[in-house]
Amino acid sequence: MIVIVIMCIGVLIGYQWFPHKWSKVNTVLQMVCIAILIFSMGVKLGSRENFLYEITHLGFSSLLFALIPIGLSVLLVYLLTEKYLKKSKKKSTEEKETW
Amino acid sequence: MVIIAVSALLLGVICGQWLFSIQLAQTIEFLAEYVLYLLMFAVGISIGTNKMILHKLREYNLTVLLIPFGIVVGSVTGGAICAWILKMPLNASVSIASGLGWYSLCGVLMDELAGAQMGAIAFLSNLFREILSFLMIPLIVKWLNPYTAIAPAGATSEDTTLPMMIKYTKEDVVVLSVLNGVICSALVPVMVNFFYAVLP
Repeated sequence: MIVIVIMCIGVLIGYQWFPHKWSKVNTVLQMVCIAILIFSMGVKLGSRENFLYEITHLGFSSLLFALIPIGLSVLLVYLLTEKYLKKSKKKSTEEKETW
Repeated sequence: MVIIAVSALLLGVICGQWLFSIQLAQTIEFLAEYVLYLLMFAVGISIGTNKMILHKLREYNLTVLLIPFGIVVGSVTGGAICAWILKMPLNASVSIASGLGWYSLCGVLMDELAGAQMGAIAFLSNLFREILSFLMIPLIVKWLNPYTAIAPAGATSEDTTLPMMIKYTKEDVVVLSVLNGVICSALVPVMVNFFYAVLP
């Protein structure tokens, strides 16, 4: 939960006080943090005794965890946008034409 | 970004496996927690500074929420199905799928919550999601509709996969893509923590 609290503090500071000219610095900072975190995750993984054995098993599971959520997201968003978003866009175009 | 991420992961694995002592590996693990706090603070600032997003939200009214809603429900359901197929804990599986393509954050969060193996699956699966999105966006635009091209991208639709959206769709879809990315990015840390704590 502390992670979410820290992010909310960031949102507030970003909205109220953070100067726009420092946005690039903020983006670079994020990239550096991500690189350090991924590196540390790699260290943690690599220091496991059975790491090489495990990685051969994680590949298939990981691919499945990508494909199934993607498939269902695509299906659901397609159905919703076909039903509501396209209709609302068509309606707003018709309203503009009557004006 | 993908190259940096994969290089950092491989370098870390090599260091952990062959170069670093256990003590050094533990020190790095300890410090990583504070780096995560710094990252979340910086991500918060990014969301807060993007004031245009709040104005555009008013123009599109509530229909703008349809896409992130579909992505979240589809991904969470997908995570539950993966738990059933792979016989994995439901909470970890749904949390992994809640990464919505944000591989770095989800990988790190899952690593903290459920250990290195789950962290690795979260990292790899969300990285696969981003890579697959690059390949799928043009095909979805052609075969389904432009709005649906945002779906595989999930939380990455505001940054890494945005160039593909700009190239293959129109401005209104690009704006929706950015809005979706912001909403999904804000939801990722909340959902990962929430589902891991709440589900069995």
